[in-house]
Amino acid sequence: MLHFRRTLTALAATSMLAAGSSAVAEEVTISVWANQGATENYRIDAIKIAADLLEREYEARGETLKINVEGKVFTSWSEFKQAVTLAGEAGTAPNIVVSSHGDIAPWAQAGIIVPAEDYVDLDAWPLNDIYPNLLEIATYEGQVWGIPQDAESRPFFFWNDYMKAIGYTDEDLAELADRVRAGEYTLQNVLEDAKKMQDAGLVEPGKGFWPRPTKGGDFWQFYMSYGGEFATDDGRLLFDREAMKGAYQFFVDAVNLGVTRKNHLGTPWDQWHGALTSGQVGIWHGGTWQYSEWTKKYGLDFFKNVTFTLIPSGGNERGRANTLTHPLVYLITKQDSEKEMSIAGELITIASEPRINALHAIKSAHLGITRSEEKVSLYANDRWTREATEVLLPYATAAPNNPNFGQYFEVMMNGLQAAWTGQKTVEQAVADAEKELKAALGDEIVFR
Amino acid sequence: MSENYRKWPMVLFLGVLTTPLILMYVYLFVDTVTNTPPGAILPNEFTLEHWRFLHENLPGRPSIWLATWNTFMFATVTTLIVLAVSSAAGYSLSRLQLPARSFFLGGILVLHAFPTVTLLIAIFLILQMLGLYNTLIGVILVKISLELPFGIWIMKGFYDTVPWEIEMAGIQDGATRFQVWRILVLPQVKPAILALGIISFLAGWSEFILPLVLAPGNDVQVLSVYLAALIADDNNFDMNLFKSVGLFYVLPVIVLFVFFQNKLMNIYSGGTKG
Amino acid sequence: MGNSKHLGLILLAPAGVFVILFFLAPVVLTAIFGFTNMSTATGISGGAYVVNESTMRALGERFGERELAGRLLRKSYVIDEAGLQAARESGAEQATIEELREKYLGRNFESRRQIERLLKKLDNRPASIRAIKKIAASFERSVVNIRFDSPEELVAAIEGYGIVLSDAQRQALADVSYTGWVFTTQNFKTMMELPDTWRTMANTLFYVFSTLILFNTGFALVLAILTHYMPEGPAGFFRSVWLLPRITPPVLYVLMWKWLAWDNGFLSRMLEPLGIAPRNWLLDTPANAWTFVILINGFVGASMGMLIFSSAIKAIPQPLFHASEVDGASRWQQIRHIILPQLRWPILFITSYQTLSLLTSFEYILLATDGGPGGATEVWALAAYKKALSNYGGALQYGYGAAMSLVLVVIGVVLSLIYLRLFNFKALTESPKIEQ
Repeated sequence: MLHFRRTLTALAATSMLAAGSSAVAEEVTISVWANQGATENYRIDAIKIAADLLEREYEARGETLKINVEGKVFTSWSEFKQAVTLAGEAGTAPNIVVSSHGDIAPWAQAGIIVPAEDYVDLDAWPLNDIYPNLLEIATYEGQVWGIPQDAESRPFFFWNDYMKAIGYTDEDLAELADRVRAGEYTLQNVLEDAKKMQDAGLVEPGKGFWPRPTKGGDFWQFYMSYGGEFATDDGRLLFDREAMKGAYQFFVDAVNLGVTRKNHLGTPWDQWHGALTSGQVGIWHGGTWQYSEWTKKYGLDFFKNVTFTLIPSGGNERGRANTLTHPLVYLITKQDSEKEMSIAGELITIASEPRINALHAIKSAHLGITRSEEKVSLYANDRWTREATEVLLPYATAAPNNPNFGQYFEVMMNGLQAAWTGQKTVEQAVADAEKELKAALGDEIVFR
Repeated sequence: MSENYRKWPMVLFLGVLTTPLILMYVYLFVDTVTNTPPGAILPNEFTLEHWRFLHENLPGRPSIWLATWNTFMFATVTTLIVLAVSSAAGYSLSRLQLPARSFFLGGILVLHAFPTVTLLIAIFLILQMLGLYNTLIGVILVKISLELPFGIWIMKGFYDTVPWEIEMAGIQDGATRFQVWRILVLPQVKPAILALGIISFLAGWSEFILPLVLAPGNDVQVLSVYLAALIADDNNFDMNLFKSVGLFYVLPVIVLFVFFQNKLMNIYSGGTKG
Repeated sequence: MGNSKHLGLILLAPAGVFVILFFLAPVVLTAIFGFTNMSTATGISGGAYVVNESTMRALGERFGERELAGRLLRKSYVIDEAGLQAARESGAEQATIEELREKYLGRNFESRRQIERLLKKLDNRPASIRAIKKIAASFERSVVNIRFDSPEELVAAIEGYGIVLSDAQRQALADVSYTGWVFTTQNFKTMMELPDTWRTMANTLFYVFSTLILFNTGFALVLAILTHYMPEGPAGFFRSVWLLPRITPPVLYVLMWKWLAWDNGFLSRMLEPLGIAPRNWLLDTPANAWTFVILINGFVGASMGMLIFSSAIKAIPQPLFHASEVDGASRWQQIRHIILPQLRWPILFITSYQTLSLLTSFEYILLATDGGPGGATEVWALAAYKKALSNYGGALQYGYGAAMSLVLVVIGVVLSLIYLRLFNFKALTESPKIEQ
């Protein structure tokens, strides 16, 4: 197969020489795969815009290059990752992949992706303008593997009217974000307030506090609320028993108190969005990007009705308020064609320019990646991105780039779900998770 | 028969048990052309908006016609090859002298209920080595293999019922065994071929996991994967749209079913007797 | 084609190719994979040899070679003749190389970034970013983060930079720097140790036997007998309706159940006037989830038994029924004394055949509950699929998944062999009559 391909390439090269350099317009197809929702079309479209610009740049230089961008949209993360991984193994990976920064480590080790820094100029604009902490998140083993595509965070939301109905004043609400940050308003207060709202008949039982309805990185925030950390200083994964117990227990308490439903995980998204944008839910946590859907599709008057804060501390000694950012990154995959990889690098660079990235940021309510984006009027005029950037981003942590983190994630989530739904006690769930991780990861994870 | 017994309690009893099923299928039709207000049971307006996917591509999805074409090709090619291979192998197992016959027969029975789908990683690797990962042909080959044990077993069962005299007569007239099979025996098992053809087509038309894992590309997407991806999209939840795409997807199946019901019933019951 | 012995093999050959390619070869591969630690990170087709922070940490910890690890991690870049030569080979322009030699020969750098910046300042600056990167890489004098295909190449590269390795060090280095998979029996140990393994096994047994008893044989029997006592019209109607689940594509079929069962679904809407709060009936409690999983699979499974039993009942000579009616037998007595004895073998057949199908099927559960809530409906085949191919974090564990599949293969084959004995397999394999 490989030989065959080589022969073909050689043939193609000879025929091109024969045809002379003038007539042949070079044509390259760049495929881009992304997992994206309805408002996130610029994950792929930004590359299309970049391709258009790049073609013009070549033309301006007197060269001809035709770039076809082939986009493929996925709607489920597990299917997306399965497809990228298998295609990578088969040597048919798409040229550019938009994925979680957490995929960098395993895909880098497997040789599916190449370090982006080998193909882009991090010293030149616009990449030298990317927030350093975001670039840090895209770094693994001392190399920058991906170019951040967006940033977000996963805050808590409070329905203003119900908070007021249980005794909070407008001033209290205005200060809430600060009190959460200072650790004065904790997860225990969340449960109490949710209970009060239910007791007062403001919301139905089981709708006092609504977490995200599906598995997701958001749940690590509760682990952090109880003082948990992801990794040791020397780069090993860290399993903090006390924090894990705290996080699991929080959801069990919420169920016992009746403010969260036992079977909440698995709620369809439309129902989740619909309930909380219509004031059926007192307190919830979600993602900054969901703002776009709430306001556009569900017509929520956000700033009138909702207050948002960091995830409160668990209230224990080591606990702290926090939020998780989980930037997606543009990754360049390993290809036989050096040319395709460099063009992919050029496209990603152009797609990161503030004006183009701002399109994605505003349309999908994500946060920007470069400082100069704040000067793009589209971005600067948006109250949500401005405030969210201010309140949340400085305190955002990210999961580590570790090849085993995906497995840790899976085990943590399964344990949480087992405890939450009452399949296991908290102690049992934590112990089982520890057992499984110890067996699977050995020395690569430290228990504390 | 059984004239002495009253029949209506039976019909009523089974009718009640069957109601949920009937409701599901009735609402499958109804919901595709109507809207129902939240909380209500009966629809209040007629609309064709849920069928918009026929003339415009849904966001992020390839054209439904491409997916339909792929599904059709997938099911048709699978059917043709399953028919060709099983009718040959079935005849060989039923009528021809074969070393280790019982081993082959036993093998087919064992393969019949084999957990192939859980061997996907290995199958992926084999397709990759053949250069057939992410191609329709690759998934078709795997699907054929899955259908073969059933197909061969059915065909063998039907060949077993063909009278030996037909073949004897052919041989006496100087035909080779191959000619006997092609000219004399195959026409005898036409009903089996038709029924197996329909079953293979339905199996190919419905297949989900194989194309999902082994052919993720847009240009090779089939309807099952198309519909599943639509349902999985967190941001575009629209039950009536899903049902419309689903109805579009299942229509050919229902047409086949209406026309060939009896054949199907025959094979599901008759063929597996052995 | 004259010899029928050859013809037999020839006609069987195409089927053989399929079986070998997609049954036997996958089983062999799965058996091999089951004894490896293969995952997304290790890749399937083999790994490379890489010196980086984590592999060097392992070199320090496992082999006590901290000093060597530190040396290997030190990066350095030198502009020398060898580097210039390498740069030329990577396609750099002659003028660029000349200028570099003239201005910077012999200079040392700590990071590639420094060289890149310097290259950009040259009068003969390379045209593209990629060219700059390649030239800069030519001057690298360390092996950090470079993927080598074999340990020999890695060692040769290291020794090329003047670091001499002992045999033990080479061995240790090859050991820790390998990114691919290795053979291990850990998967099976882990499987034995994990409590979830036993839970999944128990789930599987529960799923298989309840679906089997309640629907695939039980309800199928009810359908067959009831339709037997009906006029042809309604009987045909019910048989057709109960065949629908089998022929409806699973993705759509499960969607229809979801429409019935979830919070805003039909069931909730029907029950709301009765004062029952809407809920996701499908995932509300493990008991609910199981009910639906069994219903969903059972409705599909009942049709096959129904048809087989019906045709077996049809085969019963009519006079038997008439005679018993004349004798005044009740319907129940007819069923017990005439129908059921006739159905002994079909029932046994359906039971054994469908045990195997249920054991290995997971499509409907994947689409309906995905094993939830909280893993309550996770069955073995689904768990194997998820471990190996589908999880949210993207950490696919091919090795562990293969080990789980292997367990299923062994159970499936053993059960099949038992059933073959049970059904007196020899009777099915009488020899052809035309030869002899």
